[in-house]
Amino acid sequence: MYPNLTPFLVGLGGAGLLLTVVLAVRGPLTRRLALRQLNRRRAEAALVVAGSVLGTAIIVGSLVVGDTLDQSFRQNAYRELGVVDEVVSSPDPAQGEEAARRLEPLRGDPAVDGLLTVRRHGAAAVSDGKGEPRATLLELDFAAAASFEGPGSSLAGPAPGRGRVVLSDSLAGAVDARAGDRVTFHLDGRPVTLEVARVVPARGLAGFGEHGAFVEPGTLSWVAGPVGGRAGPETLTLVSNTGGVEGGAAASDQVKAKLQAALGPLGGQGTAVATPKQELLEEAEAIGGEFGALFLFIGSFAIIAGVMLLVNVFVMLAEERKGELGMLRAVGLRRGRLIRGFVIEGTVYALVASALGLVAGLGVGRAVIEVTARIFASFATEGGPLLTFTVTPTSLVNGFAAGFLIAFLTVALTSIRISRVNIIAAIRDLPPGTGRPLKRRWVVLSSLVAAGFGAAAVVAIAGSQGVGTYLYPALAAAALCPLLVRVLPRRAVYTGASLAVLGWGLVANTVRPELFDDGSTATFVVLGVVLTFSAVLLVSQNQELLLRLLRPVLARPSAAGLSARLAVAYPVARRFRTGATLSMYGLVVFTLVLISVLGSVIDSGVDRAVAQASGGYPLRVDYHPSAAIGDPAERLMGQPFAGRVAGVAPLASAEAEVLGVPGAAKAVPATVVGATPALADHGLFPLDARLDRLGGDDRAVWRAVLADPRYVILDQYLGQEESGMGSVTYRPGDTLTLVDPGSGRREGKVIAGILADSTAFEAVGPEVAGSPLVMAAGGLGEQFGDRARPSAALLALAPGVSDQAVAADLQGEFLPQGLVATRMRHLVEQDFAANRSFFQLLQGFLALGLVVGVAGLGVVMIRAVRERRRTVGVLRALGFPAAVVRRAFLLESSFVALEGILLGTALSIVTSYLLFRNDDDLQGSGVPFPIPWMNITLLVAATALASLAATAWPARQAARIKPAVALRNAD
Amino acid sequence: MNENGQVEPLLVAEQVRKVYRTGGIEVEALAGLDLVVRRGELVAVMGPSGSGKTTLLNCLSGLDDIDGGRVLVEGQDLFAMSDARRTSHRARSMGFIFQAFNLIPVFSAAENVELPLLLNGVPARKARATATQMLERVGLGHRTGHRPNQLSGGEQQRVTIARALAARPAIVWADEPTGNLDTSMADQVVALLHELNREEGQTIVLVTHDPAIGGSAGRVVRMRDGHLIGDERRPLASVGS
Repeated sequence: MYPNLTPFLVGLGGAGLLLTVVLAVRGPLTRRLALRQLNRRRAEAALVVAGSVLGTAIIVGSLVVGDTLDQSFRQNAYRELGVVDEVVSSPDPAQGEEAARRLEPLRGDPAVDGLLTVRRHGAAAVSDGKGEPRATLLELDFAAAASFEGPGSSLAGPAPGRGRVVLSDSLAGAVDARAGDRVTFHLDGRPVTLEVARVVPARGLAGFGEHGAFVEPGTLSWVAGPVGGRAGPETLTLVSNTGGVEGGAAASDQVKAKLQAALGPLGGQGTAVATPKQELLEEAEAIGGEFGALFLFIGSFAIIAGVMLLVNVFVMLAEERKGELGMLRAVGLRRGRLIRGFVIEGTVYALVASALGLVAGLGVGRAVIEVTARIFASFATEGGPLLTFTVTPTSLVNGFAAGFLIAFLTVALTSIRISRVNIIAAIRDLPPGTGRPLKRRWVVLSSLVAAGFGAAAVVAIAGSQGVGTYLYPALAAAALCPLLVRVLPRRAVYTGASLAVLGWGLVANTVRPELFDDGSTATFVVLGVVLTFSAVLLVSQNQELLLRLLRPVLARPSAAGLSARLAVAYPVARRFRTGATLSMYGLVVFTLVLISVLGSVIDSGVDRAVAQASGGYPLRVDYHPSAAIGDPAERLMGQPFAGRVAGVAPLASAEAEVLGVPGAAKAVPATVVGATPALADHGLFPLDARLDRLGGDDRAVWRAVLADPRYVILDQYLGQEESGMGSVTYRPGDTLTLVDPGSGRREGKVIAGILADSTAFEAVGPEVAGSPLVMAAGGLGEQFGDRARPSAALLALAPGVSDQAVAADLQGEFLPQGLVATRMRHLVEQDFAANRSFFQLLQGFLALGLVVGVAGLGVVMIRAVRERRRTVGVLRALGFPAAVVRRAFLLESSFVALEGILLGTALSIVTSYLLFRNDDDLQGSGVPFPIPWMNITLLVAATALASLAATAWPARQAARIKPAVALRNAD
Repeated sequence: MNENGQVEPLLVAEQVRKVYRTGGIEVEALAGLDLVVRRGELVAVMGPSGSGKTTLLNCLSGLDDIDGGRVLVEGQDLFAMSDARRTSHRARSMGFIFQAFNLIPVFSAAENVELPLLLNGVPARKARATATQMLERVGLGHRTGHRPNQLSGGEQQRVTIARALAARPAIVWADEPTGNLDTSMADQVVALLHELNREEGQTIVLVTHDPAIGGSAGRVVRMRDGHLIGDERRPLASVGS
């Protein structure tokens, strides 16, 4: 994934590593110091490495997910298309023959490996009570096909002979047929029964076209001729490029140009050249990239938590070595050398952690793929794409380099901070001074920076830029603090600044409702980080106030009271350490709960979604155009469905290209669905936006559109996939151009409305070109002619009639047409279930961040036990029972963990509520804001228990400290 | 006092042995040592570095385990008790003063002093009042809310003394209580200990290598290589002067 980033990441990472090596070579004393520190406490070094591993693991895991999806979709493309790189199709058989003749000379072209002309006919297939409405019958020369495909061709072998057919295993599975069975194909309303000669794997040519069946040349013209020119056999010339199955697509543009040149005037008469493999490969790359980016986005919260852990661990290391650092500075070691020493030490940790993270990331990626495959299988009709775990060297290099770079930069910046020790304070183990203000020049500089960020914030807010609106005001507030602490108490300044940033973070979306419209995930990351960090700062500065609530417990003269008192004393006193741990927990829990709440919000809208998706039509029936149901309204409402089916809205469809979609960079593929005025009689599909001049409500607009071919209603996602979410900005009243790729005929259309939910119009027709666009059936026929084919109908049912029962009866009754009835509720619920699974997968992935948090807490507590050996010794000497000491440590970790968890949860619920409140769609739905208390409780309980488990060992160690030993030797 | 008018022994140590084992090497820190401390005594344990002074204190107070012999405090064998009982006994009967002060850094002076009281179940309000009284007694009534890092070394040690005495223990153990203090501060602390011993009859066992401090104690026990090599009592009139 991301080969374009490799030079950047490797360059920066390599530079960091080289710098470290130079520092190590040129500074033998620093090197010795650093390396001996590494060797001194191996267990601690292991802890530091363990804490840093997850960052790389998450990055590598995300990239591997992208790799696998990219490669799997590519493999699916290779499997489906085999050697076929381009397809030349003609609108009628005669023109197809002419096209094939014109292309024949290209056989000698070095870029072309082979040509094969076939005849294709759509059909419904039925066998022994099972039907498939979207079968593809290909008439081809089996010997030529085997030669075209080369060794391993699925179609190799004897031709089946007249009256016999070779089935792809996908069609055989759909109609439950095997060799020797008889399958009836309905072509243009004429049934023909063929005996299955053999079943072959649906790959290569045998996978070309959906649910393929293959017959000898002449079979199609023998069984069926074109009926009125509609849906007759189509002549295709398949082209294989030089370069084999995988390499051929690279030459698609070049070969396409040659094909178009060879076709000459036929191109203007409807003969088109498609590059299906190239398109599928581009789609594969896009899907891989999107999934990888999604997991990186979710993982970024965990990565930030990992960075906090690393900072925390390094600060603790420095605290532990305070005495020796002070001594080294006292005997003349420059601060720069201390920094270099830490950098060398940190680089070794970062290198080892990145290497281990690489391995862990492969495991993480593998686990995600396993779950993803199950999710795909749950909602795909044929088991979904086969996911093959794939790792590319680019991803490994990028993941390693990115993980190393993050750890290296964190360590380097932290080293600069921790090397600023006061020599006397360090040697005498005095607390570092906190009251010393920054030097004047730094105050001036930070004030200027604050002014700069302030100005940038104004611009960002005015332009509703998501990231800038949240980030710049926060940075401006932070940069202003050094100036303010000169005139106001420090605590008041930090409290005020954190309150201001927190408040802005929560209300910004209300003030600027378009912040999330660009669909940028970075806005969510910045929002989460800004809210969490400001809340943590606020809490850290005001812990004493919060603890007043616990005063009755803390003042109890009992073991429990003493444990509690000790438990809260250290987190309150060690603000930075506590703050870093709170941030880790807060950030991850914030996101986990946010996903959970958003999932719940989506789930709560299932009834509304069903209503929107069905538009009052509980059933949709699909049939192949070649076996279309004549006068569907009469047939589907007649016996035996009279009284049960209350209304029928027939749908026709055609493939189209849309030009001039506002915001779209290029032509957008679309499926144009033609509907009759009946559509608005029996139901109503709500519109997100409508052209008011056509009527005062959605129904009036629908009626106008269904009567006037100048208007169209769009799916809200039309063009988004091609141009990126948020980039397409069409509104009612905008115009666009519909192009029939077959005839090249163009017509301008006015957007009359945007569909709230287009499910009922999706995948209508035998070839799904893209997002649906609905217009009057008459207008569709005028522009697209024979290419507009009747292919589906929406059914309204009488009150109280079971959609399931009617669906089953319809499929039985119209078996020859291979009719498939789909229950809209079932379809929506299936989508919701898949969404839910995917949300759970994301939560699982993000839960890795909790591992960082829990590991971080464990590290902090181990350090705390080591640091407080003497204190524990004193407490034990004073008469503290071991159990009280153990309980105090457990309570301390629980206190920090719970505080972080509650902070993240509260912030998340408030944020999701504000997002919910600002969403006009959700507000209009009347759905109350749902809080998944059960999920949240489980999440909180599991996190709290994991935290408790992580500190059980350190707490036990603390309780085992022998007072005399601890008092004699603090370390 | 017993029937014979003698002061009851508060602590009886019989044949106490302590061996340190490090890397296969055994060092006998206490070599079968006997010692009796009576109520109201101020005993100074002296000796060169490595003679076993601190080990003696740790073992007699039950902070450390012993390898042989027994230690009776107020008639109870410390090492026949479970760790929990011994800990509880320590909370009730002993106070500690350390060279490095060892105050709890995240607690204020008053909170540090009230710790032993709370451990003994004294209600919070009463514990705080007693802690304040104790701090006033050691001259720190105005520093009750300060944390250790806000106090000077002498003040920290006085807080430690207040903490050691807060629960009215039978015996106070002091390990080099002036080791981290300058002469003036050290004199003040020693004077305070003498005052407490003299006026309140507080039994104190202090470990020191400072001859001046040792010389001012009523009884001086001398050690070398884990053995008791001398036990001198001084006339009361000269004690603490």
